[in-house]
Amino acid sequence: MQIFSKTSLVIATLASLSLSSTSLSAANTKTLNVYTYDSFASDWGPGPKIKTNFEKECACTLNYVTLDSSVGILSRVQLEGTSSKADVLLGLDLNLMEAAKKSGLIASHNVDTSQVTTPGGWSDKSFVPFDQGYFAFIYNTETLKEVPKSLKEVVENQDLSVIYQDPRTSTPGLGLMLWMKSVYGDDAGQAWETLASHTKTVTKGWYDGYSMFLKGEADVVLSYTTSPAYHMVVENESKYQAVPASEGFYPQVEVAAQLKNAPNPDLAGQFMQFILTQGFQGEVATGNWMFPVIESADSLPKAFSTLEQPNKVLILPADQVAQNRKLWINEWLDSVTQ
Amino acid sequence: MRLGFFGSIFFIKMLPAILIILLFSVVGVASFTALLLFQDLSNWYQVLSSRYIWRLLNFSLWQALLSSALSLLIAIPVTSALMHRRFKGRDFLLQLFSISLVVPTIVAILGIVLVYGRSGWVTGVTGVELPLYGLFGILLAHVFFNMPLVVRILIQAHSLIPAGQWRLSYQLGFSRWDLFRWVEWPYMRKALPGAFLLVFMLCFSSFAVVLTLGGGPKSSTLEVAIYQALRYEFDIAKASVLSLLQVFVCTLVAFLVYRFASAYRQDFSLKQLDSFPVKDSLKARCFDLGFLCLALLILLPPFIAILTPIFTPLFITTLWQENTWLALWVSIKIAFPSAALSLMIAMAFVVLARACMDRPNWSWLPNKLEYMGGMILILPSLVMATGLFLLLRNLGIAAFELAYWVVVWVNAIMALPFVLRVILPTFYQQEKRYRNLYQSLGVRGFARFRLEWPMVRQAVAQACAYALLLSLGDMSVIALFGSQGLTSLPLYLFQLIGSYRIEQGACIAVLLVLLCFVLFSLCTRVIGGKSNA
Repeated sequence: MQIFSKTSLVIATLASLSLSSTSLSAANTKTLNVYTYDSFASDWGPGPKIKTNFEKECACTLNYVTLDSSVGILSRVQLEGTSSKADVLLGLDLNLMEAAKKSGLIASHNVDTSQVTTPGGWSDKSFVPFDQGYFAFIYNTETLKEVPKSLKEVVENQDLSVIYQDPRTSTPGLGLMLWMKSVYGDDAGQAWETLASHTKTVTKGWYDGYSMFLKGEADVVLSYTTSPAYHMVVENESKYQAVPASEGFYPQVEVAAQLKNAPNPDLAGQFMQFILTQGFQGEVATGNWMFPVIESADSLPKAFSTLEQPNKVLILPADQVAQNRKLWINEWLDSVTQ
Repeated sequence: MRLGFFGSIFFIKMLPAILIILLFSVVGVASFTALLLFQDLSNWYQVLSSRYIWRLLNFSLWQALLSSALSLLIAIPVTSALMHRRFKGRDFLLQLFSISLVVPTIVAILGIVLVYGRSGWVTGVTGVELPLYGLFGILLAHVFFNMPLVVRILIQAHSLIPAGQWRLSYQLGFSRWDLFRWVEWPYMRKALPGAFLLVFMLCFSSFAVVLTLGGGPKSSTLEVAIYQALRYEFDIAKASVLSLLQVFVCTLVAFLVYRFASAYRQDFSLKQLDSFPVKDSLKARCFDLGFLCLALLILLPPFIAILTPIFTPLFITTLWQENTWLALWVSIKIAFPSAALSLMIAMAFVVLARACMDRPNWSWLPNKLEYMGGMILILPSLVMATGLFLLLRNLGIAAFELAYWVVVWVNAIMALPFVLRVILPTFYQQEKRYRNLYQSLGVRGFARFRLEWPMVRQAVAQACAYALLLSLGDMSVIALFGSQGLTSLPLYLFQLIGSYRIEQGACIAVLLVLLCFVLFSLCTRVIGGKSNA
């Protein structure tokens, strides 16, 4: 009975919401369309709070259009071409920037990025970063006693079972490939072969691999240095930790861009500026489980200070990545399928 | 006076059916053409000269052949055992058989891992770690998904055995084996090529299961390359070349299967669902019991693993969340219209095919239609959806605003092969048996439909259930077209596990499985009438 009353309540609220949104648009408020990936805009993600914060400033409606992944965002606007209704793309990453630029759909921004704390600072004129993190292997402190100290130890320890993601189909997978390349250079092929001999499996996406790891299928799984923070903050569970990397970590930076054909260029520009303010940056840590990209006025949740910090950051130049990506994927493929 | 085909009353009567099929074909062909516009010859050269692609093709073929052969081999004795034995829980088992197909892959993978994995039940009990990752894992998962499907198709074929044959074999004192050899096998054999192809195509284009349980990129299918080209390289030309290659290979396999399979013939005898007792023997009992246990052993543990979250407090919490019910509502909102649409298109096929059966010049059509419907599966839904998207864009329509209808349409098309496979044999048999009778009595149209309904309702119920369940389980189409407000249960599940909420995702999976269960029973009760499984 109660469930019924609850659902009818939901339906009533929905109906009134749709009514009010039509009446709002009738009153000529503009709508900013932001394409993003689903977990960003979900109730537990940073999306809803950012929407509230931005709408306070802009007298507009922020509408998220959610796609299944960062790649999904890009392929959607590529499919829509110049007829796209999107104003802003939110959620591409470093390695998708070249492809996005090549599509010719991205406008340049005039956001001051001098305060940005990403490794090496930020100078790109098309994209504005909105959060950052590092790829890392995660282990369970209760089951793994001899913890590797570096990427090399993960690769070479034959007793360690590893799950990682496919660089052909997933963002962390591609990240690991670049990490390996920057640590091993020309010997990456050999290293992949060594890793392949104690790899449990390679999965299509992040969640396949991570959930299999949580079910106890492997000793370590490829994820982010910030993953333990989720377990600590939400589940009050500190047994999951990141494997340190003495060679240095490879960064993941998520970026946003305005579209050339944005239906609301002024609003889009305003949103691009908003990204580097507290109203946005204050939500990414516990919403998206990533680090903000500006020195935060409010300190981060305590869990974040216990996370593995990079003593060195490895990063390959974007043009080099774009040029060699296919080559390196082939190198990976050849080595692991021998 | 002789009228040509296009001037005949026949044509006018068939017009609705022809229009529906025309719409279906035009949209299909146009979507694919929209993809092909991106084509040039160098793509073909590039793809065909790649050793990588050939390796993928080779592996896709092998694992698909093995998986489908194994599914069929297990399904045949299991079907026979299920049809001979009545036991408690049989109906439940049959329902379980219907829903394994729609369990989202990641959920099934986690279920299998919970049972057979490193920290799984089998290892926990026996202490032996199974070599799950590799061919074993792939076959296990594919048999889990597809063997039940084959059983359902074979049961359909089995129920076409006329009562006269049962009576005769009873009078002749056939043993269980004789009965199988001389009565059941000839009927099952008719359904085998179709079932084989269906499973073959499903396994051929299987992606996440093969990669994950196959232990990595050594086990990649052509589908991986299509996905990679479409999503990561945004190389539509390459993706369409690869899909065409896939279409070509599967068509070749289909051609070979039907070339060597026995011709599809229906009989004229009366159909009635009495069963006659056969001579039982200890050997026959052991045989049936053995195969039923095998089927249970493959199917039950992963299902139990999937359903365990039902006992957690989190499941109750999940049920109390608004989002859960919104997602459920979206799923239902998509599943019902697309099932109805799928049935409508399938009925158009049936009407046209049956009308052609007694026309000498057109009698080749019915069988071809069945194959044609089945071929849809070869095209990855992602490719089909992309094609449709481009088509709409070329027409100046924003697919984004039509998202809901596009999802309904593509889901209906994706379910069509299953629907056709289930209803065509029954409707063809009805036509062959009673056509002359109906014609001589002048029973047509709705009157005829009313007479036929009791005979076909079970098949229609099952087809409807499959269409519903397949739309409920869809991931790829809705992911491409989806937008805010169009979050179905599977999509919600992926959102949850995509942001660490794996346990809650598991609860949504339970809800999805339960929903499939409820809808399936509803279909079989309401449409199929009471007395059936």
